[in-house]
Amino acid sequence: MQLGLVVQLVINGLLLGGVFALAALGLNVIFGVTRIVNLAHGQIIILTALTCATVFQRFNITPIEALPVALLGGAILGIVIERTLLQRLPEHAQSREWTSLLITFGVSYFLIGLSLAIFSGDFRSVAYLTDSWRLASVDFPKAQVLAFTLAILIAGVLGLFLRSTKVGRALRAASQNLDGARVCGIDISRMRTLSFALGCSIAAASGALLSMIYAYNPDTGSQFTLIAFSVVVLGGLGSYAGAIVGALLLGLAVSFVGFYGNTHLGSMMPYVVFILVLLFRPSGILGKPATT
Amino acid sequence: MTLRNLGFAALAVLFLATALVPLSGNGYILSLFYISLLFTGLAYGWNIISGYAGYLSFGQITFFGIGAYFVAIGTTQFHAQWWLCALAGGVFCALLAVPMGYLMLRLQGAFFALGMLGLGQSLRIATDVIPYTGGAEGIYLPPGANAVVVYYWTFAILVLAILLTAWIDRSAFGLRLRALREDERAAGTLGVDTTSTKVRAFILSAIVPALLGGGYAWYLTYVEPSSIYSTEIELQTVAMAILGGMGTLWGPLVGGILMSQISEALSTKFPQTHLMIFGALIVVLLIALPRGIVPAVNDWLARRKSSAKARPQEAVT
Repeated sequence: MQLGLVVQLVINGLLLGGVFALAALGLNVIFGVTRIVNLAHGQIIILTALTCATVFQRFNITPIEALPVALLGGAILGIVIERTLLQRLPEHAQSREWTSLLITFGVSYFLIGLSLAIFSGDFRSVAYLTDSWRLASVDFPKAQVLAFTLAILIAGVLGLFLRSTKVGRALRAASQNLDGARVCGIDISRMRTLSFALGCSIAAASGALLSMIYAYNPDTGSQFTLIAFSVVVLGGLGSYAGAIVGALLLGLAVSFVGFYGNTHLGSMMPYVVFILVLLFRPSGILGKPATT
Repeated sequence: MTLRNLGFAALAVLFLATALVPLSGNGYILSLFYISLLFTGLAYGWNIISGYAGYLSFGQITFFGIGAYFVAIGTTQFHAQWWLCALAGGVFCALLAVPMGYLMLRLQGAFFALGMLGLGQSLRIATDVIPYTGGAEGIYLPPGANAVVVYYWTFAILVLAILLTAWIDRSAFGLRLRALREDERAAGTLGVDTTSTKVRAFILSAIVPALLGGGYAWYLTYVEPSSIYSTEIELQTVAMAILGGMGTLWGPLVGGILMSQISEALSTKFPQTHLMIFGALIVVLLIALPRGIVPAVNDWLARRKSSAKARPQEAVT
């Protein structure tokens, strides 16, 4: 009985972790190439989730069907943000970081305001596939399994793209060594735009998937920025494999603390993890110094 | 020099006008001025750690919230004087800022910014769990709140914050802060004890919002997590400092005066899209006027001065 419960919590945690991983990957792709931590990341996730909830309610279009549109819409949003706001950032590493943080902070509030104006402050969720598969007395909620599978699929496609296409390799080169990549003839400015398009597209996709398995309102956006960031911190900045392991661990933490403690403490877990990593592995969280 | 005197005259008029506002007996004007004073004070507090030391914090609301809850709990549970509770909140936040500073200030850039943002958010969530805070329902403070007293309290703290910033602006301490803002490693090699310098700045930056938060709770006579740990207050504070000029003595004042007017106009005309417009405003400001009004005006004055000097030479040649 007790063991069954633990197994159930593990399953729930891992399924949730898969979607966290996708959210974090988006943040990671952008940071890798541009050295910008996009503080509006969570708001893009929530804006998409809210849109999915409304579209489902009004037109009965499921988040799965909306996923391609979300991917495309996110990419366009990313290109617009990068081209209009972040293209002219100063090159000097420190003022670049300050300005980018403040600008994305501003964008995040713009998006919160936009979501509030369109969707109001009510909590929403998509009631789609609410039943479960039952296997050896463990429940596999259909929506969670589907979200997890799609998240891993998208992450896999992204991995393939980065590994085996020419553009993907150029993107990785730009995140490893900016000057080296420039010397090799890679157009850095285009890589930055591309990374934003990819990152925001992934954020929107994880928003569509989360819309089925979470309850959210416009204010929960920064919570998701924190989740994504904690995952990245846990796994190591710039490391894709690390981010996935970190996300699964965080999913487990949220699941267990949410059950044995309460849901409030569960939603504080990303932050607790962030602080714990900082306490016990300070060298890990500082990541690669931004000297490139 | 006449320009300098003009500035001081304007400041004196502003000071007197602000001091005399409660005598008008007009509650609306009082509340308008109170909110301006409050936000400008918060912007001064934020300016120390983020403007002078260069550690962008999106979580100074944490200390504001603790100060507010000190007054709320102190006056209801222990029947203490509200200003004593507010002072206690200030002392508590100063003490809290020591270990917190040592911990958080090891982080840089985005890590620190998000670490502080998370702190404010977590405390808002934790308020539901911690006993005596009234949870999500909040706490009603005992009646007898006097808006005029809170007004002068806030005014006094603002003046002290300006004086403190004036001292930082001129002192060796301020110079050390700016040195580590520009290049922390270089400052360290030149003998600046970077850790203790930034922790001190962090403490000062925590006391100001804590004291203001105490007054705010007494003014509102009601506290609840989402209105106290308000992201809107944080956003507006940051926007004011950016508009006026981060890391300058007069930036938060200029930004505060302008922004509270804009904010008042916006919230009455567009209550729904208030946050959206503020977010957009920050972005536009950073692109159009990245360093803020005060440095831009200083540059313009310096250019005018140098061209005035250059002109007679041109006439000769």
